[in-house]
Amino acid sequence: MPREKYRDKVEGLFKKADMYNLVENLETCLACGKCVGNCPVASLNPSYNPRQIISDVLNGEAQRWLQSEEIWRCFWCAGCYTVCPNDIHFPLLMMQLRYLAAENNYGVKYIMPFKRFALRAIEDGLTFAPGEKGRQKIMRYRSNIGAAPWPEISEKAIAEYKELSDLTGATEHLQNITDEDEKPVEFKYLEGRITGE
Amino acid sequence: MNEARVIKPEQLFPAVPESIFLFRSCTGSMEYPGTENAIKEIMAKLGIEVVMDPDQTCCSGYLLTCSVYKPEFSLAVTARNLAIVEQKKLDTYMFCNGCYGYNRELAHIMNHNPAYMKMANNVIARQGYKYEGKTKIYHVQELWYRLIDEIAARVVVPLTGLRVGIHYGCHYLAAQYNILDDGGYPTFHEEIIEALGGVPVFYKERQLCCGYAVGRGFTHREETVQPHLYKKFRSAKAAGVEIMTTVCPGCNVALDREQPNLARRYGVEFNIPIIDLSQLIGIAMGVPLKKLGFEANSVPLDGVLDKLGIDRREQGE
Amino acid sequence: MNGSKTALVIGGGIAGIEGAIKIAQAGYPVVIVEKQSRLGGVVAQLYGSFPRWEDPRVLLQHKIEQVEKSDRITVLTGMTVKTAVKEDGFFTVDLQATGGAGEKQVKAGAVVLATGFEMFDASVYGEYGYGIYPNVINSLEFEARLREWNSGRMEPAVPQSIAFIKCVGSRDRSKGLPYCSKICCMYTAKQAGIFKDMFPNAQAYVFYMDYRAAGKEYEEFTRSVIETKHVRYVRGRPSKVLPENGRLIIRAEDTLMGVPVEVETDMVVLAAAIVPSRGTAELARLFGISTDQYGFLESESFNPGKGGERVFFAGACGFAVETQGAQYQGAAAAAQAVALFNQT
Repeated sequence: MPREKYRDKVEGLFKKADMYNLVENLETCLACGKCVGNCPVASLNPSYNPRQIISDVLNGEAQRWLQSEEIWRCFWCAGCYTVCPNDIHFPLLMMQLRYLAAENNYGVKYIMPFKRFALRAIEDGLTFAPGEKGRQKIMRYRSNIGAAPWPEISEKAIAEYKELSDLTGATEHLQNITDEDEKPVEFKYLEGRITGE
Repeated sequence: MNEARVIKPEQLFPAVPESIFLFRSCTGSMEYPGTENAIKEIMAKLGIEVVMDPDQTCCSGYLLTCSVYKPEFSLAVTARNLAIVEQKKLDTYMFCNGCYGYNRELAHIMNHNPAYMKMANNVIARQGYKYEGKTKIYHVQELWYRLIDEIAARVVVPLTGLRVGIHYGCHYLAAQYNILDDGGYPTFHEEIIEALGGVPVFYKERQLCCGYAVGRGFTHREETVQPHLYKKFRSAKAAGVEIMTTVCPGCNVALDREQPNLARRYGVEFNIPIIDLSQLIGIAMGVPLKKLGFEANSVPLDGVLDKLGIDRREQGE
Repeated sequence: MNGSKTALVIGGGIAGIEGAIKIAQAGYPVVIVEKQSRLGGVVAQLYGSFPRWEDPRVLLQHKIEQVEKSDRITVLTGMTVKTAVKEDGFFTVDLQATGGAGEKQVKAGAVVLATGFEMFDASVYGEYGYGIYPNVINSLEFEARLREWNSGRMEPAVPQSIAFIKCVGSRDRSKGLPYCSKICCMYTAKQAGIFKDMFPNAQAYVFYMDYRAAGKEYEEFTRSVIETKHVRYVRGRPSKVLPENGRLIIRAEDTLMGVPVEVETDMVVLAAAIVPSRGTAELARLFGISTDQYGFLESESFNPGKGGERVFFAGACGFAVETQGAQYQGAAAAAQAVALFNQT
């Protein structure tokens, strides 16, 4: 691994990573490490390190985190955000990093299971409605407690949910998710940062 | 004492509402239907009208953060659901941390970024809705806290000596735009347990998340979720937790359904039943067990019910 | 006498005392108003000083003796300012006894505000548990503990390990205080060093984001704490304090190593931010001084320490400052008052 010289700085990477302008204040990062100390994933996999990821995004070190296994481990518990002295919304950055990785065909395997759920959800207006067998069990449990057998969601709600999905391009986006050209991800932060040329 | 926590509940909620809009949770209504039922039963006892609407859809936040939905869609869905509540001139009460966190987050984005507000409204206008950002979003737990005296006065099965471990869930704690509790050291839940006569247990890892959010339960179950939960349960068991209460059906799924797997993997039976706070309040307030739906739980409640002297058959279970 | 050449010093801490002494030495009468029952302010609460490990009580004693010897200085302890009226450029100030009966009026041709600072309420950080765990205390409370230990009082038990956490409130935009409180790095080094001197077998950790030692002998002082007193400096702002088995666990990232760490301690000392003392805002309004967004007093353009016509200020009511700096500022405010009196 070559010594890093930040020479492959990607112009405007931060803006590209924050494609929805949801974070904006990444440059206020003090590198204090409060996020990492509060991160349950970092405590299990120390190579997952929100502070280092922020630093990499700011320095334009694109390839490492796009190809990394680390970014797929975050639980989105927002422990980092809760303690951040500058209110940097790291979870929203993480959400967008994953979009960018997937656009580049990395980590698609971690999205594919949810493609199936999502295709169902836009038909049901509910997330996680199971198949027929699971459906029977839910209806039995609900009937046993005196509730309506199926969650009371109207046809109108279901139709409008699907319509919103079509109108905002979510349906199309969903259908286009594919793992055909998937590239492998691996742990990218384990090696240490300076290894000699 | 923390200044944030000596604010009287009356000041947090201007008044106890006569009616609330209860936001249906997908996971809640399918995995643990007893939760929603418990809330309705308790509200009826307390004289608060619960309004729901079949036109409300899923909040869409889970799949958004699982990287399959895009924010445009979730913003529109949030705007649409909250517009429905606004038409009723009510505040929105969530009993799922997912719904609570995502709705607050997405509403915050719209209310602080006019371009997103406009975008979402442009889409939902086609369906005849308009979101203005008026309805306030609360968690049902926050209302329980506000009603703590009324609840305590109606306890018929005190939870005497029951050691309850609390799981707050991160999307409740991290919804830090004017969260009513102290996100760094929350105590609402513990105070409610005390009001029910139980013993809240402050175990070391009580603020550790459930690990199932954003789909990691599907993608990284063995790599991260299980060791993570193992750590949490070890800490709870060591502190003598007999039952754990949550305020989120999603957390319930992780903590309840994952226990048999942990037992297989680590060879340790934790056997800590996981129920919703509302269900526990229901038990204490004498809601019949049959209506609380413990049938859906993977870890049975037998030991706890025995300790409280509740006969399951007598209650029609 | 219409008081046109009498100075009123509000606040009897080290800055106010220094200012009063200098004005009196120049030949003008001075009144010091102090709300506490004795002079000394924060310096009276301190154990040890930086950067020379001197005893602040010796300094304070020396200064108070000068005040007592001077027949031009009147000390009014236990009193606060009630109202102030400006007429023909001079102030008529009504004082009242702190929490009791008793009033006094002072006419002054110059006023020096030296109301000092207090510590930010660290209980805002739920994650650190200040106000929840008895062994989580702030730095001023720790000074009191050092005094107790020094006087031989060892109850409750002396901690075997202490973690000092810097930047509690300071440099935290989410808590509304983005500024650096300036003195915490130095007094934390001092406190950790004294603790290790008292109990060489105990352990002391300092969690820091940056350590800022800009001042004469400050860097050497901090290094000596690390190198000869063996205090461990860990770079990282702790995220959480958790109780376990009667001890306190600190969770943080060692940001130089890039790994999350847990440190077991018995006591946590929070270097809480420096904020203007209560009442400073009201005094600023009474005497027509503007304040910055945090409530610290603002100088007129090109005139540091001058808040307005015949109004000067010194010490931490302007911004966080160490003992010596407060003395400098007290002397500077005195020089401005004296120059004014000499002109008229």
